[in-house]
Amino acid sequence: MALVELHDIRKTYRVGDQEIAALDGITLSIDAGEFLAIIGPSGSGKSTLMHLLGCLDSPTSGSLVIDGVDVSRASSNQLAAMRNAKIGFVFQSFNLLPKFDVLRNVELPMVYAGVPAKVRRERAMAAIERVDLLHRVHNTPLQLSGGQCQRVAIARAIVNDPKIVFADEPTGNLDSHTGEAILTLFRELAESGRTIVIVTHDNGIAARLPRRIEMRDGRIRVGVEAAVSATTPLISPAHPGEEAGA
Amino acid sequence: MNFWFGLLIGLKEISAHKFRSFLTMLGIILGVASLLAMFALTEGVARGMRENLAASGGVERVEINNKDPSEENQDLAFLSPGRTLDDAEALRKGAPLVSLVSPEMNLGNNTAISRSNITIRLATTGACPEYLEVGKYELAEGRMISQIDVDRVTRVVVIGASVAGELWPDTPDYVPLGEVIRINGVPYRIIGTLAYCESDAAKRKRAAGFSAVQDERRTRRMGKKKRVNRYDTYWQKNHAILVPISTLFNDFRTASNADGTPNWKLDRLSISVADLSLFEETLNQVRGVLERTHRGIDDFGFDTREEWFDNIESSVRATRTSGSLIAGISLLVGGIGITNIMLASITERIREIGVRRAIGARQRDIFVQIVVESGVIGFIGGILGLLAATGVIQLLIALSPAENAPVMTLSSVVVSFSFALGIGILSGLYPAWKASTLDPIEALRYG
Ligand SMILES: Nc1ncnc2c1ncn2[C@@H]1O[C@H](COP(=O)(O)OP(=O)(O)OP(=O)(O)O)[C@@H](O)[C@H]1O
Ligand SMILES: [Mg+2]
Repeated sequence: MALVELHDIRKTYRVGDQEIAALDGITLSIDAGEFLAIIGPSGSGKSTLMHLLGCLDSPTSGSLVIDGVDVSRASSNQLAAMRNAKIGFVFQSFNLLPKFDVLRNVELPMVYAGVPAKVRRERAMAAIERVDLLHRVHNTPLQLSGGQCQRVAIARAIVNDPKIVFADEPTGNLDSHTGEAILTLFRELAESGRTIVIVTHDNGIAARLPRRIEMRDGRIRVGVEAAVSATTPLISPAHPGEEAGA
Repeated sequence: MNFWFGLLIGLKEISAHKFRSFLTMLGIILGVASLLAMFALTEGVARGMRENLAASGGVERVEINNKDPSEENQDLAFLSPGRTLDDAEALRKGAPLVSLVSPEMNLGNNTAISRSNITIRLATTGACPEYLEVGKYELAEGRMISQIDVDRVTRVVVIGASVAGELWPDTPDYVPLGEVIRINGVPYRIIGTLAYCESDAAKRKRAAGFSAVQDERRTRRMGKKKRVNRYDTYWQKNHAILVPISTLFNDFRTASNADGTPNWKLDRLSISVADLSLFEETLNQVRGVLERTHRGIDDFGFDTREEWFDNIESSVRATRTSGSLIAGISLLVGGIGITNIMLASITERIREIGVRRAIGARQRDIFVQIVVESGVIGFIGGILGLLAATGVIQLLIALSPAENAPVMTLSSVVVSFSFALGIGILSGLYPAWKASTLDPIEALRYG
């Protein structure tokens, strides 16, 4: 069974007497260990989908099963527990707590998981080492560059050892060079076996990922999704075949 | 998330905005301080009044005073001799429920008490030995007037603690036993001095470093002559002049009536009730005895202190209620202030709340965090209020008359402090509810 399974997911926003179908029947499954890109024009529903996958929101209808748990009708507490234990989320705007230093920011998910302070510190330091920021542990986000902030956010996302990491335009606020470095970090995480879903506007980036999904008007564009075998080299020039229709 | 973590966040948040937090706490600080000061003031007054009551004989003391006889006895009133020493004798013999009988004859407040060239004017009391116990006096030096003094009509005198200092101003602490003073020109030998009487509050005040000298200096600074309150129980007791009742009668009363006849009447007749649980029975017994000596004329009444006692309690209760109401309102206003600031503070932190929710904080965790934060504000406000109150009360102690000096009791501290903490927590509930029900996505998008 797949790690994530969506069946006919719909999300409708009601503004006044106008109904906006942000997601209009999404069916999709993601296996453990996949490294997946979601692309599509602005307003096509990428973020909405990521919020549902990240258990930050519930769908209007349809079923969403993550790691064997049906979260489409879960309570607020169950969703919080899912976000805490099974899901890591990386935002475009980092969303770090500006008053806390790097260490405290990375520790925070474990605080809500009830991890004892000593273990918390060890694991946070390990995650910070993983993103190569050990020399800045006691800096606050305001003293870090954008790329460094995003690294802290990634450390925070993986510190509770989640089943899957979602990143909504993680390079959107960064220059192309820094964005590349962040992407390399994700790639390394994927190589070590982590399941990762990235939303990106950058076709160059998306083209290099093993699997891409294109969205338009709240639906997955048929015929565009092309699974690439796991043997495809991860670091390689764009595959012309996968660019088709993009 | 555990409680300590919430506490830590709360403290961090408060120390990050020290001045704002202080302003937020101000309402609580003032509320607690005024609540405590009010409690201390009423407690001080109540204690002062209770002590005063105890010092002047306690609840067991009953005074028998004159009263107009009832309608049907009016024409026969002349038959009654009024209160005389015979009453005292009859009560001692015929009223076993009465433990002590103390008759008094007084010379007015202006009796000249003199020694060589010094004259002071004080009330002089002709008393029996029982006077000491009924009036709650204690002897410092020498002895009290004895029954033998009364029987033999000796010219001896017992003086209050402050009298010696005024008659021998050059030799402080002089114990003038055996010295002779003149009362309206008649020589009396001093056989005893009474112990100094003061209220507990005055004692405390003295212990805290406010000497009588400082008091005097203060009154001088305030441009007034030190005003002596001659109705003050303690002042009166320290200026007592006691002579045997028989001697006073012999020297000053044998022809003091307008027509030159002796004045046998007592100025005061006090008794002590042996058993307070038999109070009414005792009064009935006394009434029975006195009706005989007064030949059936009901020209006497009782002045008991029970009413006095009840009055103290009810007036203290009334002040306390109205004071608590005012202080409570200021605490409430303080609480509204906290709610207001907490609402502003969560608006400022909507994004932070969104982040916390996104990484797994439950609604409950956010709720606890905010409530703990406002609880901490209440807690610190309560402590600061306590400190402020201690200062205010010290000031009030320095300013108020010694016998009514405010007293801070443990129970008032506990009540005010828990009130502050409770208000802190209560005023955080609504902001906490608002913060915890924020939608995580909208919170993340905010700002
Ligand atoms: N809270 C909301 N209320 C009403 N409409 C919303 C809400 N959130 C999203 N939408 C609508 O849903 C649609 C999809 O929005 P979404 O943010 O998922 O797009 P996106 O693909 O992430 O776009 P972008 O690439 O610009 O980030 C849009 O038309 C948007 O206006
Ligand atoms: Mg988006």
